[in-house]
Amino acid sequence: MPFVLPECDKDVPERKKHIYLKDEKDEFAIPACNIATTPGDLTERGCTYAGCRGVVGGPVKDVIQLQHGPIGCCYYPWAARPHVATGTNFHLANAFSTDLRESNIVFGGEKKLYNSIVEASEAFPNAQGVFVYATCVAGLIGDDITAVAKRASKAIGKPVVAFNCPGFRGVSQSLGHHVGNQVLFDTIVGTEELEEKTPYDINLIGEYNIKGDDWLIVPLLESIGLRVVCTFTGDASIHDIAKMHAAKLNVIRCARSAKYIAEMMQEKYGTPFMEVDLYGITQTANDLRKVAQYFGLEEKAEEVITKELAEIKEELDFYREKLKGKKVMIYQGGPRSWHWPETMAELGVDVVVVATTFGHEDDYEKIVKRVKNGTLVIDNPNAPELEEAMLKYKPDLFISGTKEKYLSHKYGVPFLNGHTYESSGGYMVFKGLVRFARDMYKSLYSPSWKFVRTQETAAEAQ
Amino acid sequence: MVVINRTRSVTINPPKMCQPIGAIWASLGVHASVPLVHGSQGCSTYPRNLMCRHFREPVEVAITSLHEKATIFGGAPNLKQALTHIIKRQHPKLITVITTCLSETTGDDIHGIVKSFKAENPVYDDSTKIVTINTPSYVGTHVLGYDNAIKAMVSQLSEKTEPNGKINIIPGMLNPGDVLEVKHMLKEMGVEAIYLTDISRTLNAPLRLPKPHFPEGGTTTEEIADSANSLGTITLCKHEGQSGANVLKDKYGMPAFLGELPIGVEATEAFLGNVTQMTGKKMPESLRDERDLLVDAMVDASQLTFGVKVAIFGDPDIVLGLTRFAYELGMKPLHVLTTLENPQFAKDMQALDTDYGADAEKQNIIVGGDLYDLSQKIKETPVDLIIGDYKGKYISKDEGIPLVRVGFPQADRFGYQRKRMIGYRGSLDLLDTMVNTIMDRKDD
Repeated sequence: MPFVLPECDKDVPERKKHIYLKDEKDEFAIPACNIATTPGDLTERGCTYAGCRGVVGGPVKDVIQLQHGPIGCCYYPWAARPHVATGTNFHLANAFSTDLRESNIVFGGEKKLYNSIVEASEAFPNAQGVFVYATCVAGLIGDDITAVAKRASKAIGKPVVAFNCPGFRGVSQSLGHHVGNQVLFDTIVGTEELEEKTPYDINLIGEYNIKGDDWLIVPLLESIGLRVVCTFTGDASIHDIAKMHAAKLNVIRCARSAKYIAEMMQEKYGTPFMEVDLYGITQTANDLRKVAQYFGLEEKAEEVITKELAEIKEELDFYREKLKGKKVMIYQGGPRSWHWPETMAELGVDVVVVATTFGHEDDYEKIVKRVKNGTLVIDNPNAPELEEAMLKYKPDLFISGTKEKYLSHKYGVPFLNGHTYESSGGYMVFKGLVRFARDMYKSLYSPSWKFVRTQETAAEAQ
Repeated sequence: MVVINRTRSVTINPPKMCQPIGAIWASLGVHASVPLVHGSQGCSTYPRNLMCRHFREPVEVAITSLHEKATIFGGAPNLKQALTHIIKRQHPKLITVITTCLSETTGDDIHGIVKSFKAENPVYDDSTKIVTINTPSYVGTHVLGYDNAIKAMVSQLSEKTEPNGKINIIPGMLNPGDVLEVKHMLKEMGVEAIYLTDISRTLNAPLRLPKPHFPEGGTTTEEIADSANSLGTITLCKHEGQSGANVLKDKYGMPAFLGELPIGVEATEAFLGNVTQMTGKKMPESLRDERDLLVDAMVDASQLTFGVKVAIFGDPDIVLGLTRFAYELGMKPLHVLTTLENPQFAKDMQALDTDYGADAEKQNIIVGGDLYDLSQKIKETPVDLIIGDYKGKYISKDEGIPLVRVGFPQADRFGYQRKRMIGYRGSLDLLDTMVNTIMDRKDD
């Protein structure tokens, strides 16, 4: 039977269709996904606002990030995700809110929103625009944030972008990504012209510069002879997004959160797109070849690949030796769960469980295709399922995010943060892979683990 | 004294969160409890993420996952389904139903829904208590959320039986390090206490295998019930406990001491004095020593602390406590900011000012302000130190003024949840940190 119901879910039978044990005979069975969470199941999912504000809009470095609603939703995502930027930390250091109160809930918050946009722009005259995000309450009381944004934009003479992303919409963060794509496409893309065009202009789509991933990828692409017009949205200025339409090709890294804009650009501007992984050696090399081929830069690409691989070989070989035969459990938002099975295989690491928070069918198709027989694939896992998987599959390492890190440690399972990374740099492309492997090694081989004892031993200890 | 009230519409860099996180915090201080947030999925994920970064512990919070349908037809089915799942799968001793701006605006009557849930499901007896807490995010801040949670717990769970000879302590949103310090002081006094509630172990657990189903420690639901039979209630943070203390006072006629946070000499003395008054237990030699060790250090440091200008921001009780301690050290608290929009805060501050006869330095009391206000005031009148949580780091960096970190959250550093700032020993730790920070700066 390809679908399994964990012991912890015996009272939540609807979870069975979300949990698939890969079986070669069932190549194309995939878990149910992108549907509502069972209330009270201790899900790890976030909301639409989180996907829009935190993932897609938040990294834009030179705009005022204004949340329209009560204060909490301004505070929690404030600098919570290290989408760093060149030359500024404005978007991380500052968070803006209309801080809606009871009277606003009764009488509406539009006036407060308008005043907030104007005041914030006066306080920070260098900001290049304002992103307004609706949270639950703003959606419920029916504030017309788009109309307010239009009026306020006239008043401040800068773009004001309204994202209608209240948390109750959709089933996960995923819809928020979509809203973010749609709104930026409708309001910003194509509003400015790229002055000096080259035949090698591309956009990097769905890459957010977590801890500087972008600063590994962009130089690599440039060394092949390409030019990145805009990274959507890591380290991006609103002016970069405005010129995206000038690119000749869209290269998509996180297809879950940003394929939408590539599809819309293809339809409107005829810009072709290709999907890449950019994690691991083989995937990165093939991605570079694929992109280079489009521009006739194959020779240069081979040269760069050869040089990069030579640079990392010695260090990577050391870690490979150390990681060989280890078992890993991967739980990410979406694409990293399909970027990594092959990356792990390259490192000699065995993937035993893969899960995603908000994957859609296309994500699971890729995952199921890329994992080996006998791997457990979980959609939208809840805490008890993760615990059971840790106990049953006994991974040597769990790669997930902040909320799972300490749970993993309490189960005695070494952990690595794959969402925001533990180290001060990215994990992508060749150079990042070395850091990724090094950090896995550090988690696995920490001597501290050998002092962990059982409740029983602790009780008997003198 | 200049009292500054907000006039701007926009809030820029708020050092405050919403009510639900305060209620989640209070719930997690109860043994085997599951906080159940009645709202969108972000309402559990966001607070969890922040608390994980601060405590470096697992933080399990359930959510009713309200979506479009629930905004139209109400969230009763989601809430009932969630209660069923949590009871069946987690077997907790307590579920706290915590509302959000969403469920409050749609108007779900959580008390009625829980009542009908119990009537429909007699199979779930009272072995899992369910407490309903109204925490609309558009009223007050996390401070009120904690206050409301404790109030709801004692209102709905306390039961008068036999006197227990204990005192009730409502810690407020203090770190495990501080709660452990209170426990230490009361142990020295020979006083037994019921903590409403106690995160000192649930969010600060040793690593031993196998992981217990629920973290060890925390206040039991039986202890919460027994809080009706105590000698009295002391709040460490007035604003994060006064409602609960007053419920116990009104219901059972027990005294409520709405204390000032015991930071520094006088406030700690006052706290211990209240304990003595309530229990008749005298301060032992060990605590007298702790006091005088602190005084010894204060005197030793006087050259370095006297006249030092500070800016202090954070939760109202922490700011009041830190300001008093700053005065005891001869510092000049030039800018004090709290997010509490209550004129009483300014009055409390002015009373402090009078107590210590602070010289005519103009002090800005920013009521209901944000960190943008604070940064503007610091630009006008620079200070030597900023004391507050991690969000002060941007001002610290921009203005080149060191930040002494206290309170919650400290999401970007290690071990602050274990530090203490209250009691004589906590104050001494804080003094050491402040003085060394000043010395580091002199070295530059």
